Amino acid sequence: MVVDTRQRIIEATYACVARWGLAKTTVEDAAREANVSRATVYRHFPGGRDELIHDVVSWEFLAFFLRLYEEVQEATSLEAVMERGIRFAHRSIVEHEVLQRVMQTEPETLLPTLTLESNRIREAIAEFLLPYLLQHGMAEGVDPTQAADFLARMVLSYMASPGRWDLDDPGQVRQLVREELLAGVVVGPEPRGAPGT
Amino acid sequence: MSEHAARLLAVPPVVPASRTAAAAGGSHRVRIVDGALECLARQGTSKTTVDDIARRAGVSRATVYRVFPGGKVEVIAAVVDTEMARLFSALGASMGAADTLSDVLVNGITEAYTRITTHPALTYLVEHEPEVVLGHLAFDESNRLLATATRFVGPFLARWMDPEESARVAEWSARIVLSYCISPSARTDLADRRQARTLVETFVLPGIRALRAPDASDPIDLNRYAADHRAGGPTA
Repeated sequence: MVVDTRQRIIEATYACVARWGLAKTTVEDAAREANVSRATVYRHFPGGRDELIHDVVSWEFLAFFLRLYEEVQEATSLEAVMERGIRFAHRSIVEHEVLQRVMQTEPETLLPTLTLESNRIREAIAEFLLPYLLQHGMAEGVDPTQAADFLARMVLSYMASPGRWDLDDPGQVRQLVREELLAGVVVGPEPRGAPGT
Repeated sequence: MSEHAARLLAVPPVVPASRTAAAAGGSHRVRIVDGALECLARQGTSKTTVDDIARRAGVSRATVYRVFPGGKVEVIAAVVDTEMARLFSALGASMGAADTLSDVLVNGITEAYTRITTHPALTYLVEHEPEVVLGHLAFDESNRLLATATRFVGPFLARWMDPEESARVAEWSARIVLSYCISPSARTDLADRRQARTLVETFVLPGIRALRAPDASDPIDLNRYAADHRAGGPTA
């Protein structure tokens, strides 16, 4: 069961990272935690420790976006998808103990992978938003694909760095999404009428 | 090391390499700072030594330590401060020359994007030592960077909106620049004024209008042309 062993090693490595951080986690630790030999770890991760750490970060990042995906599944409108998504993502990041700890102690190990992954995730978010945009109706002259990319960029920006916004406040998130992000993208989201001149 | 070097993120190239360092014949301090900038552009932070800086600056190692007792870290901090100041002064000149809100935003976004993405030292670091730069682009550090940009850019919007609105729009613009710098888009090149203008007019200006719509007694006049206050025309 190749897949299971690989998965078990990843989960074991994550447990080590949660306990000791990225820098202190070794292949030996991961092997011990997963109850496999070092050789088995190297068979699944020929790149050794670097590959293992990279894959663990990718794995947890993907898991985070699967949770996000589930969270917004039931939302029916573009506005609702974005509001729920931003609030959920913000909360998840703030409450993610392992992420917060690693960011405090060893951001330089984490960030290159995270940045790389966020490019893929941006594309996934844009793809996810596109049908909602089309369903909602685009403002005149706005290219749906470009709009989806722009919104995905903004969603990622706000979820990682709220800046002046309090993303725990549903009213503010509502304002952010409806009055700032979507104002130029879609045809008059209620309750706003035609844009001024 | 990463502390200071990473602040290079917000930094631009203003002076071509040929005009810097020893060639300029400036004071030791100037030559050292310029020489260090060239070193960073060629080999990044970790490989740059005080010897390298001294050689490029045309001074002795002892001179570097006399001017910068803190050594490499202190030199790099001076480089970062210098480059930050250059970026902000270029941004200020560019935004200050604009006469419409659209031009202010287009000028600011284009100027910042171009300087950041073509800065030789920064480009080298992003390519070879990304961890040095990225730490300043995520989470708390990114919030700090956004706050700095917001404080600087906000006042340039004061002719069109109140301070609260200005801050909001300034931060939004800074996010846009950062996002496209971190992951450039194949479809939208913010170094191209026309494309930057399309982005501003499509996505940002409607959001600014929405700040006061729909029942505003004093809607924001996006195209207010302050001809009476300015002799110069709008920038191309």
